[in-house]
Amino acid sequence: MSLADRLLINRLKARDEQAFNEIVRRHGDQVFSLVYRMIGSRPEAEDIAQEVFVTVFKTIDGFRGESKFSTWLLRIAANQCKNRIKYLARRPAAASAYEDVAETAGSSASSLPPPAQGHIDAPDVLMEAAELESLTQAAIAALDDEHRLLIVLRDVEELSYQEIGDITGLAEGTVKSRLHRARMAIKEHLDKHTR
Amino acid sequence: MDHARAAELFSDYADGSLPPALKAELEQHLSACIQCRTELHAFRQAVGSLSRLKKPAPAGFLPSIQKQIYERSRGRFFGKRWKLFGRIPFEWVSLAMIIAMLIYYIALLHGAPSGVRPGN
Repeated sequence: MSLADRLLINRLKARDEQAFNEIVRRHGDQVFSLVYRMIGSRPEAEDIAQEVFVTVFKTIDGFRGESKFSTWLLRIAANQCKNRIKYLARRPAAASAYEDVAETAGSSASSLPPPAQGHIDAPDVLMEAAELESLTQAAIAALDDEHRLLIVLRDVEELSYQEIGDITGLAEGTVKSRLHRARMAIKEHLDKHTR
Repeated sequence: MDHARAAELFSDYADGSLPPALKAELEQHLSACIQCRTELHAFRQAVGSLSRLKKPAPAGFLPSIQKQIYERSRGRFFGKRWKLFGRIPFEWVSLAMIIAMLIYYIALLHGAPSGVRPGN
């Protein structure tokens, strides 16, 4: 952990509001992205991602700096996602936690990065990108939560195997073999729905 | 190498972590097998599509968290600073109180009428 990170954590332990804001600014996008791709519903993802940071603030005294702060933070996020997935699975009316998947096709065109100056993508290109995003999200949703987490950590968030091992507590070999199965399942899903 | 064995190696091959000997063996198979080349292409496209799924936090994310924290802690979550003097110096306050009590005791001792001493 860098000296700057250590100082920031110490300020957070002293309940410094500015340090907390800085941490949310630095890690907010990554936490939200992880949670959104794990859960598939924007309102649920917002709720969980907020809860992650509240938990960080409440339990920061227990962070001893043995791992990177981001690893500790993502472990909290991953655990909260798993708990919510279990909770949603028990709720009969919550079968549509992935309700946003269908909705994404219509809405995510507006959330795509803005086009470079002087270059505007044709609507059909935007729609195609939105459809691919929706399809890929549905493929992730079809995985069980363990495989889903590995796919999101490695292929969406682009973390190293070492970091994934630290977050999940799995050996590198296990991460690799499960990840391969998850990737093959994603490929099969996309093959099936695009041919 | 058969198709199934080749497919098992796709992840490590795509990650660039395949040992040189296996990599050479796979590439030799791929050069002769159009089916596996097609499968590998589809595999890479699928994995590549995942890297475009990053989602930024919505606008107003930080204020929402701050609001939750303030509501749950009734405004006491973050350490409030004593406006004029930093934090309240409790150790100095107690020392001042002890000194004040001592002075009061001494004053009482000297101000009391002779013959009527406190503690007698």
